[in-house]
Amino acid sequence: MKKKHNYVKKSPWVIDYDVGGCNGCNLEVLATLTPRYDVERFGVVYKSSPKNADVLIVQGCLNKKAVKRLKKIYSQMAEKKVVMAVGSCAITGGPFAEAYNFAGPVDKHIPVSVYVPGCPPRPEAIIDGLLKALRMVKEE
Amino acid sequence: MHDFVMPVGPQSPALKEPMLLKLKLEGEEVRSVDMRLGYTHKGVEGLLEGKNVDQAMYVASRICGICSISHERAFIRTVEDMMKKEVNERVKLIRTILFELERISSHLLWAGFMMHEIGFDTLFQYLWREREGVLDLFESICGNRVHKNICKIGSLRYDIAPVQEREVLDCLDSMQEKLKDYEDEIKKNKVIKERLKGVGKISKKTAIEYGLIGPNARASGIDNDVRRIDPYDSYADINFKTIVIKKGDAMERTLLRMREVHESMGIIRQCVEMLPSEKIPKFSLTNIKEGEAIGRVEAPRGELFYFLKVEDGLIRRAKVRTPTFAFIKILEKILKGVKIGDVPVIVASLDPCFSCMERVLVAKEDREEWMTEAEFRRKYSC
Ligand code: SF4
Repeated sequence: MKKKHNYVKKSPWVIDYDVGGCNGCNLEVLATLTPRYDVERFGVVYKSSPKNADVLIVQGCLNKKAVKRLKKIYSQMAEKKVVMAVGSCAITGGPFAEAYNFAGPVDKHIPVSVYVPGCPPRPEAIIDGLLKALRMVKEE
Repeated sequence: MHDFVMPVGPQSPALKEPMLLKLKLEGEEVRSVDMRLGYTHKGVEGLLEGKNVDQAMYVASRICGICSISHERAFIRTVEDMMKKEVNERVKLIRTILFELERISSHLLWAGFMMHEIGFDTLFQYLWREREGVLDLFESICGNRVHKNICKIGSLRYDIAPVQEREVLDCLDSMQEKLKDYEDEIKKNKVIKERLKGVGKISKKTAIEYGLIGPNARASGIDNDVRRIDPYDSYADINFKTIVIKKGDAMERTLLRMREVHESMGIIRQCVEMLPSEKIPKFSLTNIKEGEAIGRVEAPRGELFYFLKVEDGLIRRAKVRTPTFAFIKILEKILKGVKIGDVPVIVASLDPCFSCMERVLVAKEDREEWMTEAEFRRKYSC
């Protein structure tokens, strides 16, 4: 195969959606943007439009009202999409697993490829997960 | 001209947390606002019930990731009140230090958002960089950056070592100068002034009518601070000012919070100086059979209220009233008549925190609505 010029690349856009967490994970995801962690050095941009995003970060305990939204966002994303579940809430329900309004872990509703456990996970862990997700986007 | 309804949210660039605002527009102007909440509702009060006090504390602190210590502290205050338990001086002072550190981190976080909202990302990055210093302190003292879980009934999980005392002071010293610079920038920068001055004005009368609390109320001229009205921890022995300003627009709310950060630093410095050399008491499981009590603290966003009723060692009823829940209705009033571009700024300027706010509430202007749980779920599809 002919070698591709790899300077003509699209930056991976990331969309994050809080499906009902406590804000803890949300803050740590945002903290990855700040000077100490700075995910932008990997070309990652956080955007809010699902159409253009490659990676979907889901955080928080999935509540019944948010399920529809989540599915909608997922279906709007273009193919080659990777979903990342951040925090124990998104993975298992965490501290809110017994709540009446909990609709089950995220991977029950949409396929999840990368799991980052922790309550909340450290920004370093999130970046690590993000890099794994980006590799998947590239490989597919 | 036709009315046009524009939904903002629940996943939107303008709001960091899920909430749906239905704005009815006429041209650029907002005519009326309809709020739809519940995207982060979990049913935390229900989760607290049926657990014993030691277990429930961990759930309580997970109600909100920004003010985790405030929730913990309010919970502990309620339980300690129920047990009539006295804690020693050192525990009180350490709790005060952590509480104020949390206020600093919350206010910086918020100020960062505010700057991001008006398109000043440089300052957003700077403010969040300073905030990392505070999070480092939390990590060193409590072992975690976000959920601290350090309080125990009558005691603390960890003590502060002399090294950590110095760390706290060093962090404050290094932050102080820079924060002054940022504050000056906010005050002087033309763009910021343009976007914030006179935006989202709340008069004292409106503030009282809608039950505004915390920094938002203080920016509208209402002297309301639980630390002073109903002192807990060491606040009674410490010198601090409650900052009250009259104007009540977005600019004043921003500046007020920046000034509160400096006030908090003063409180922490005094506390570190006063730390006695006695040890913190050992903790054990709580033995509490029966009782009910209320407790409140001044969280970064205003008064946080807890009611707990314990029967047979288990929590029978829990009620949590969070600051945002108390004042969110005011959005419907102050968004009326503003330009659509100002909406995100006004919403952000109130510093709402939805994750701890979301609970069941059905109130219509002309009638009250009573519903069974099933009906409620059907209607609001939750
Ligand atoms: S995993 Fe923990 S920090 Fe993250 S949203 Fe859930 S409770 Fe909050």
